[in-house]
Formats: sequence, structure tokens, C-alpha cells
Amino acid sequence: MIEKGKISALQMAMLTNPTILATAILSAPAITAKLAEHDMWLSPVWASLAGIAAVYLAWGLNKLYPAESIIDISVRIAGRAAGKLLGFVYLFFYLHVNGIIVREYGEFVVGSFLTKTPLGIVIASIVAVSAFAVYGGVEVLGRCAQIMVPVVVLLFIVIIILLFPDLNPENMLPFMEKGIKSSFMGALVPQGWFSEYFVMTFLLPLVADRAKAPKWGVISAMSVMFILVIGNITTLMLFGDITGTLTYPVLIAARYISLADFFEHVESIVMAIWVTGMFIKISVFYYILALGTAQWLKLSDFRPLVLPLGLCLASFGVWAAPNSEKLLHDLGTTIPFYLSAVQVVIPLLLLLIALLKQKLRRQNGG
Amino acid sequence: MRFLRIILGLKEWSNRKQTMQQGAQAPSGQDFLAPDLQTNEQVLRSQYANCADVVFRDIAIAGSTKALLLYIEGLSNTVEIDQSVLAMLMEKGLVSSDVKTLLQQKVAVSNIKEVTTFTETIQHVSVGNPILLIDGQNRGLALGLSKWEKRSIEEPTAEAVIRGPREGFTESIGVNTSLLRRKIRSPKLKMQSMTVGTYTQTRIMIAYIEGLADDTVLQEVMNRLERIDIDGVLESGYIEEMIEDYPFSPFPQILNTERPDVAASGLLEGRVVILVDGTPFALVAPVTLYSMLQSAEDYYQRFLIGSTIRWLRYLFFLIALLMPSIYVAILTFHQEMIPTTLLLSIAKSREEIPFPALVEAILMEVSFEALREAGVRLPKQVGAAVSIVGALVIGEAATSAGLVSAPMVMVVALTGIASFTIPRYATGIAIRMIRFPVMFLAGTLGLLGIMLGLIVIIIHLCTIRSFGVPYLSPMGPMKARDMKDVLLRAPWWSLNTRPHLIGDNNPYRQSRGNKPDSNKGSE
Amino acid sequence: MKGLLAGQGFRYVLLCFVAAASLPLAGCWNRTEVNDLALVTGAAIDLAEGKMIELSVQVFIPRTGGGQQAMGGGGGGGGGGAGGGAQTLVRSGRGATIAEAMSKLQEKFPRKLFWGHTDVFIIGESLAKQGIRDQVDFLMRFPQTRERAAMFVSEGEAKKTLGFHPPLERSSAEVLREMSKSRLSMDVDLKKLAQMLSGGAGAAALPWVEMLPPEKGQMTKQSIPYVYGVGVFKKDRLVGQLDDIMTRGVLWVRDEIVKETVITITPQGTEGYVSFNLESSTTNVVPEIRDNKWSVTINIETNENLIQNATRLDVMSMKVNDSLERQLEEEIRHRVEEACSHAKEMGTDIFDFADDFHRKYPKQWNSVKAHWEDKFASLEINVATRVKIRRPGSTTSTGANRPQDEVEKP
Repeated sequence: MIEKGKISALQMAMLTNPTILATAILSAPAITAKLAEHDMWLSPVWASLAGIAAVYLAWGLNKLYPAESIIDISVRIAGRAAGKLLGFVYLFFYLHVNGIIVREYGEFVVGSFLTKTPLGIVIASIVAVSAFAVYGGVEVLGRCAQIMVPVVVLLFIVIIILLFPDLNPENMLPFMEKGIKSSFMGALVPQGWFSEYFVMTFLLPLVADRAKAPKWGVISAMSVMFILVIGNITTLMLFGDITGTLTYPVLIAARYISLADFFEHVESIVMAIWVTGMFIKISVFYYILALGTAQWLKLSDFRPLVLPLGLCLASFGVWAAPNSEKLLHDLGTTIPFYLSAVQVVIPLLLLLIALLKQKLRRQNGG
Repeated sequence: MRFLRIILGLKEWSNRKQTMQQGAQAPSGQDFLAPDLQTNEQVLRSQYANCADVVFRDIAIAGSTKALLLYIEGLSNTVEIDQSVLAMLMEKGLVSSDVKTLLQQKVAVSNIKEVTTFTETIQHVSVGNPILLIDGQNRGLALGLSKWEKRSIEEPTAEAVIRGPREGFTESIGVNTSLLRRKIRSPKLKMQSMTVGTYTQTRIMIAYIEGLADDTVLQEVMNRLERIDIDGVLESGYIEEMIEDYPFSPFPQILNTERPDVAASGLLEGRVVILVDGTPFALVAPVTLYSMLQSAEDYYQRFLIGSTIRWLRYLFFLIALLMPSIYVAILTFHQEMIPTTLLLSIAKSREEIPFPALVEAILMEVSFEALREAGVRLPKQVGAAVSIVGALVIGEAATSAGLVSAPMVMVVALTGIASFTIPRYATGIAIRMIRFPVMFLAGTLGLLGIMLGLIVIIIHLCTIRSFGVPYLSPMGPMKARDMKDVLLRAPWWSLNTRPHLIGDNNPYRQSRGNKPDSNKGSE
Repeated sequence: MKGLLAGQGFRYVLLCFVAAASLPLAGCWNRTEVNDLALVTGAAIDLAEGKMIELSVQVFIPRTGGGQQAMGGGGGGGGGGAGGGAQTLVRSGRGATIAEAMSKLQEKFPRKLFWGHTDVFIIGESLAKQGIRDQVDFLMRFPQTRERAAMFVSEGEAKKTLGFHPPLERSSAEVLREMSKSRLSMDVDLKKLAQMLSGGAGAAALPWVEMLPPEKGQMTKQSIPYVYGVGVFKKDRLVGQLDDIMTRGVLWVRDEIVKETVITITPQGTEGYVSFNLESSTTNVVPEIRDNKWSVTINIETNENLIQNATRLDVMSMKVNDSLERQLEEEIRHRVEEACSHAKEMGTDIFDFADDFHRKYPKQWNSVKAHWEDKFASLEINVATRVKIRRPGSTTSTGANRPQDEVEKP
């Protein structure tokens, strides 16, 4: 094993939760509102089905090959040449996706907080911090998540509670104005994010209490769904029809908080939530990238790869899109399908082939 | 080649080996005591050449057998020697038989040990036990009559409590072990002795409770202690630095305490205590960050008070770490977050200040640290004067001269107070140290910088371990059961379990159902 | 050797040093000291000649005391420190859009304009008549402006309202903000305005600001702006105005009426007045489509406290109480109906009935969405009010001001 550390199933759930949530929570309300309008709060429920599918795909593959990640599994199933190629596709995919994530982070920080700070510095700083965590290995990541996630969730709840006086429940009506279809359409983008639950394929071999892993995976996905639904309901009740026109509705919502004229403009809380969540997300992707590369190259340790991959990552972040509009456009159109194609469709095919092989073998054997 | 050796310091190291052999061990050749007294005396005298404080007293037992009494002035109880040893042995009519009989019948000393080698002899002499060498015997007697001037047991000054025992460890290890033994009377309390320091020959004691302390931790402590090769140990800090897990971390991974009750509670939780002779500070390991933020008094006051104070301390821990940074970040990056009225008054007070907020903050924090340090080092009377002058200069004069704004003075003062609420001095220093890089980050990237700084600190805290125990447990890795002694101080009747990973050998402290209930007795 | 230099710990220390020491050297991109900021407390947007937008800002002067005189004039002219204690100054800039005007305005300031504390935006009458949609777009898009900033429309030039130095508050913007918070007129912030402009009703309303003429003997500059009723927008253009009384009617329908609203009635069959103070009120708007006939029913339930009795009535008697309640109901209904008919006359659905229909009858709504204005004009509005008088205040029956024998016994 390249990674000697072990994590608990609970830690895995806490690692994957912000991995999905971090990017989703800020832009989900705006993106789903455009397509699903008043039914936007239903969309995450449909989208979470993709998450649960990804969890069970990762689990199914892991049950067949308990100690291996998709990098080695694909070699086992598809043969050496094709498997290695597929492994490379995955590695490139995670590098690319992580680049996009880093860029999203950078765009948010530069666009909303540090308008004059160079994007490169913002990206480099988060990559450096993540590299520091990745260096510590999966145990450190798991512990960080356990410390940070409860705090982040608590802060999120605080924001929601502070917004209570300004919420207008009537904005939720009319329910299913255009039938169930529009909420399905709204789920198209979030399902791409949920498919990222497939990263569990890298974490499952490291889980100590394996029996609990699928349960916690599903709990994690459901909690993400739950938080997204709450976020969507809150922004919908607050902004009504103009939700879809805002870039980051949750951010604006936090700015709208005003408590006794003293406690106002708390968008920095949103920034804290976002930066912490993004840190975990980037670190998880960064970690599986380093680990996967080490597995692919059959190295004995992933740590020497951390720095060079960090450089790649920062560059991919800068190259991911020419500007913010293009990035947001891609995020709302092509990227979700890209995500679910690699993380749901290919693993599904692999799993089917593996099961078929197993069956054939059993028939031949019997 | 020689050049390389000098660069790598190999030359010095080989020199060190020679001195070590000369200094520490007995004369080369035979280490065993010779059967004839004259040889023994010669060897010992040559060892103690130019040692004016070493007393060689030739005596004649029962007027005939020659013997030698050897002790160091001021380390042994001469009154006792005169009365219980010399008077008895010099008595006329004593039949000199073998050493054993003498020991049993005549010498009125409770603690007597036989020594057979020069090394042992020297060791005993140096801790104050007089040695009696008798002609014709190839062994000597070490008399347990050591006695030297020592400080009496006083109230520990570094860890004051309102409620709780007032006694503190002293410089003498014997007193310290007795203090521990007086708290934990069970024979399960084990104390293993060890000597460290080529020249100082410092005694250290590893105390633990058998059946509670984790065996691997204990073994690890022993191994690390045995690996130490050092000239001298003058304080437990030497030992701490030699055995800690992450020497570059600003956070202390071993707790030091002057209080026997803290050491005892550590023992009862399954920790290992290391006592070092010559210092009142005992080391407790393994520990977590939370034990660094706890005071003994948390457990002595009623649990509601204890929990409240603990929360207050956590809050001020964060304030000590982040307050100046947040002030700088908000004032220079996120002005919209300050309530309008407050911003306007800050704007008024900052109007004439020549420095940027970051420079102002660093200036003030550094002068505060200097003041604090000066206050610690100076004699008590002068220290008070320094702090008064400092407060005047920094607070009043600097503000009215327009060098520093009044809100900044408040922030620095609050940070200072906050850092003093941390009960462990070393942890407080760690926090103060980290504060400065975070301030730089705040001045560069605003709140984002603070967040990144915090994340780095958390990653670091998640990485380090103290003797195999993760520093942030029970939060990361999470152990819900242990939260009762971290998030709050649960009442004693519900503190049923020992901390996970530390006291796993025997997880239950007490039986359930200790909760007081006035109806219980009547049944 | 190797252990020391390559040890993990050393790398940590190195990382900390790099992070802490190198970043400030690279430059502090977004850092702005408070000393370099000009805090904008309020802004006014007017229409200048040639379809230009004139943006005027009220800026806080951090120095206090008489020694520092605020500089007047400058560019578009405007206010300045006439009084010794002036804490604000007003300057303006012009441009084709607000954004351009803002950059022109910046040129006239040595310090960076800071919009994070702008709590008040006032739109001038002439600009409001032209349309405000494009201006709101900028305000929503610009990251510094607060979504909670209060919006106003002013009589005449908006810039004038900023130039006053109110004796009680720090600035005239502060005065308006406090007034909007007391919610005697509508309280509309930037977010709500954006919602109104994008809503299906196609109408908006903003509090209407007028100047309070100075009391005798006061300096003219010490006058303050005050809120009187609302300005009504059709789509995004100012089309009319409702006075204070009718605004209350609107507030009643929108369920925004607040405590402390005083209603005075003249009871039948006696002389004098009785005044009531609103304790609580809920409004429920029920839209209904029956046989293609669109109607709304406005149910208002109100609790009132009696605060002054200037008649001979015995208000403790249940009978009088009942009749007072009925008369109050009538009064409220009257006000609401008047507001409704006024709104219908202007063809603006400021009550947002459109959304009520949208929620209850989404299908039918979609068919009339395009011509809601006509539908609104023909909408049948029923008002049902229920009033309860809860408490008579600190005195009983008629009060302590009248001999008992003068009290009319029912």
C-alpha cells in the first residue's frame, strides 16, 4: 500500500461532504433557479440520486477489488494496455477537474473579495495550503475534515437562522407550475457535482471499518442534498424571482443579514465557509491525484509527487478558462456531463464487464 | 578528508566520546572494589583529587579493623553519621565479624545498600550517601544518610489556583516522588529510576500506574529517554526537547507542571509522568491540545463553573490568536463589515495616524511582548514600575502623540489579557508567536489570509502527535465519548471513562450511577 | 545533518516563513487604509441636461470641530460646510451612465470613494419619470453597494436633500435612513426594488421625500428631508404619488403596516375625536377567479389600543366599544378602498396582486400575464376588515379629565 494511514468511515463521509458541497452551495441556487424556478428546491433531491449511484458504483468496484482504486481496477478489468490508458484518462480528468475547481475558487475570491489581487497569487496560496495537507496523508486530511466540517455546517445554519426575519415563504409558490420536468432540468447541473462521489473509489481501500462505508457514503450524499435543499429554499424565500439573476445568491443573502444594526455584512462568514470547504475539496482531489499517479506509476510513495503536481494544478487553474463568464457558462453546460460521463458511465461499464467476467468464470468453473 | 570531517563536525564528536569515558565511568581497568582498603582508598582519592568538599575519614572499627568513611560535605547528615555510625562502630568491645553482621547488629541506619564497584560507590557518594569501606572486604556499605539543604514545599507560582492544593513540587526529586506517592497510595503506582547526563548524573523518575498507562507509550518513553546522551540536564526542558515528537512545532507536545495534583490526575488518566531531579517541573505525556488549555481548577470547582470558565478560555484562545489580525484585516480590507457608526469613530481616531494599520499593530504587539518579557525578568519591585511606565507610554502618550490610535491600544490590551488566560505558559507563548505570521497574512490577503493561516495551523495540529496520540483528539479523530471533557467539563459523576487512546488499557474510571440523588439513600 | 535539513519540521518552518514574509513584500493589492477612504453615507441620482446622469454623493468628513471647513463647490457644485459643525460634504459628477458619473466623481476626490456604507439612495423626480431600471442594474451589479440600502424618490432634485445639515442626526442621509426604518411610509431597499421591477405586477413604489421647511430662526441648511407618502412607478417610470393617508392604505394591503400607527375617527352621535394606536394587524389577500371574473378579497384583522378619548363617550361600555370597532372597520376599509381606486386609476398594481394570482392560478395567470394592466383595472377588490379594541390605556371609562356626570351613558 502506498498510503499507510487509515481513516474511519465517518471521516470518509466528512471528507466527501464538502468535496461535493463546497462548489455547489454558492452557485447551486442561481443555476437551478434558472431552469427550475419555483421548484428549485426539489432539484437537489433528484440530483442526489446521481450521488448515491456514484457511491454504490465505487462500493461495487471496491467489493470486487477491496484494496485497489480505479487506477488498478481498470487494469484488472480492461487488461493492461486499455486499463493503463483508462487510468491515465482518470488522472488527467482529476487534474483537469481540480484545475477547474481551483479556478472557481479563484474567480470567487477575486470577483467578490480581493478585486485587485492577482488571480495567480490567490490560486497559488490555496494550492500551497492544500499541498501542505496532502503531504500529511489521508489521516491528516480526515482529521482536518472532522474538525472543519462541523464548524462549517454550524456557520451555515447560523446564516440561515439570521435570515429568518427576511424570508417570505410565499415565494415558494406556485408549486410545480410547469410540472415535474422543470425541477428535473434544474437537477442536470447538480447531478454532475454529485457524481463526484466517485472519488470514494480512492478512499474506500483506506477505510478501516469497511462494513460501515456504504452507509456513511449515502449519509454523506443525503446530507449534501439536505443542505443544498435548505440553501435553495432560503435563497428562494429571500429573493424570489431574482434568484436566478444573482451570481452567488448565498453570498448576497449573507450580505443582506442585518441584526440590530450592528451585526451586518457577514458575507465574510460565507467566505470562511467557502474557503474551508474549498480547501477540503481541493485537497481531496489533489490527494487522489497524487495517490493515483503513484499507483499508476507503481511508486512506493506519493509524497515526492505532491510538489510537481501542485505546479501542474496551479497552471491548470489558470488555463481552465479564459475568463469568468466562460467558466460560469461551461459550469452550467458542458462540465456536468463531462463529470458524470467519467464518474458514472465509465465505472458503470467497468462494473458490468467485471460482473460479466465473474459470471462467465463461474460458469466455466462450474 | 580532514577538512570534511571538521565540516561535518565528526572531529568534535570523537572528542566527546573520549571525555565521556574519562569523566563518567570509573577508572579504566578493574571496576570492582579491591579486598584491601588501601587500594580502594588510593583509587578513590585519585578520582576525587582536588575535591576539597569530599571528606575521607579513616576510622578503626572496634579499635582494630581499619575502615574508611567517605562522604561529601553538605550532602550527608553528619549528625546522624556521628551518632548512628561512628559512635556505634567505634564502641569498644565490638567484635569485628563480617560486613553482614555489622550491618544487622550495629549500624543504626535504616537504608543501607551494599556496593561492589567503584562506579556504584561514586554514584552513592555523589547523591550524598556516605560510603563505609572496611579493610579486607571487597564491598562497601552505602548509608542512606543523605541530607542537603532544600527549599521547603511552597505554593507553585506558575500555576495559581483559587481552589485546590497549595503544595508544589520542589527541586528535590525525593520530595517530589513523596508528594506523588502521598496522592496515589496504591502500589500500582510505579516509579522507575534512570540517570541522565554524563556530568550531572541527574536522576529522573518515570512514574506511571500499572494497568492504566499504555504499555507501548511507556515503552516509547523509556526508549526515547534511554537514547539521550547529553552532558548535563539542568531542567526538565532539556529532557522535553530530547524526546518530543515534532521538535519544530511551536506547540508543546509534553505538558510541564509544578503541581503534584496535575501530575497525579495525569497518572490517573493513564499518562506517564517524568520527574527530573533539580527542577520543580515534572513532564506529563502524552497530551493533547485540550489538556494544554485546561487548568487544574476546572476540576475542583463545580462543573457549571468549570465548563463556563473553559468556554471563556476557548474564546480567549481564539482572541489571543486572531484579534489583531482580524482588526487589521477588517480595517484595511473589509471596511463594510464594521457598523457605520463604529467605522466613523475609528476613521476619526485614525485620521492623524502616520502608520498603516498593519505596521501599527506589529509595533504595538512587539512593544507589548517586550514589556511582558521585561516584567518577567526584572526583580519584583522594578517589574511593577516597568509595567506602569510601559502602560503609560504605550497607552496614554502614544495615543495623545498621535502615533497609535486608541482602538488599536484596546485591541492589543485585550489580546494581551487573552493570552494570559491560557493556563500553560508554553502554549501561551506558542499562540503569541503564531499571531505574527497571521498578522502578516491578514495585512496581505485580508480575511482570506486569516482563513488560510488558520487552515495551515489546523493542518499542522492535525499532523502532530504526542507519543502516538493525535494532538487534536478527541476532535480529530473524533471520539464523541471524550467530548464531555473537552467541550465542557462534565460533572464528576458522569466522567466515567478515561480519555480514548490514553487510558484505553482500563477505560472505566468509576461505576455508573454516581449521580447524587436524595431519594437513593432511603431505599 | 540530513535529519536536520530534510526533516519535515524544517519544511514547516520554511513554509511559514515563506508564507508570512514574502507575501507582504510582493505588495498589498487590496489594502486600503481607512485614512484613504471617503465614506459615502448617501447618494443621489438625478437627470442632468443632455440626458446625462448626475451622481451626487454625501461624504463623511472624519475631522471634527470647527477648524476644518468642508470644501464647497468642486465640479458639479453642490453643498459644503456652511455650518461650523458640518460633518458631511456633497459633490457630484456627470456621465452617460452611473458608472461613468462615478468615475468622474472619483476624479474630484483625493480619497477613494467607499460605497460599503451607503445606506441611502435617492432618485430625483425627473430621472424617475424617465425610468430607473438601468440605474438599479448598476446598483445591484456593483459589488460594494448594500442590498439593504434604502431607496427613495424625491420631489424635484434629489441632490438638494443631501446638502442639508440636520441638527439631530449626523447627516441628512442618516435622517432618511432612520425615517425609513420607522416605516411610517413604505420601507423599500435595493433588493425589494429589484424584486418589484422584475415582478409580474409591473409596478413599484418608493417612499417620497420632500423638504421640511425650516422653522423660523433656523438656518436654511438645518432643514431636513422627510418622507411623505410614496411615489408610484409603472414599469420603472414614476407616474404618480400617493399621500400619507393613502400610503397607509397601501401598507395595510401589503401587510406592512406597523405598530404605533395612529388612526383618529369622529364617532357618530357625539362631538370630538377618538384616537387609536395600532397594536397588531394581519392582512390576508385571497385572489379568486370565478366564471372568468377576477377578484381579490382583502381580509384585514387589526387590534387597536385606545390612546385618546376627546369625546363624552364612555369607552368602557361594551356597547360603545362595539360601535367604535365598527366605525374603525369602516374607516380602515375606506382608506384601503381609496388607495385601491387610486392605484387602479394610475394602472399600477403596487399591491402585487399579480403574484397572488400567479401563485394560486398559475395557468390562468400565464394567459393574462402580457396584459395584466388591463386585468388589474377591471379587477374587483373586496375589503373585509375586523377590528378589536384591546385596551383603553392607563385610565378607564372616559378618563381622568372629565367629571363623571358629564359622561354620556349609553
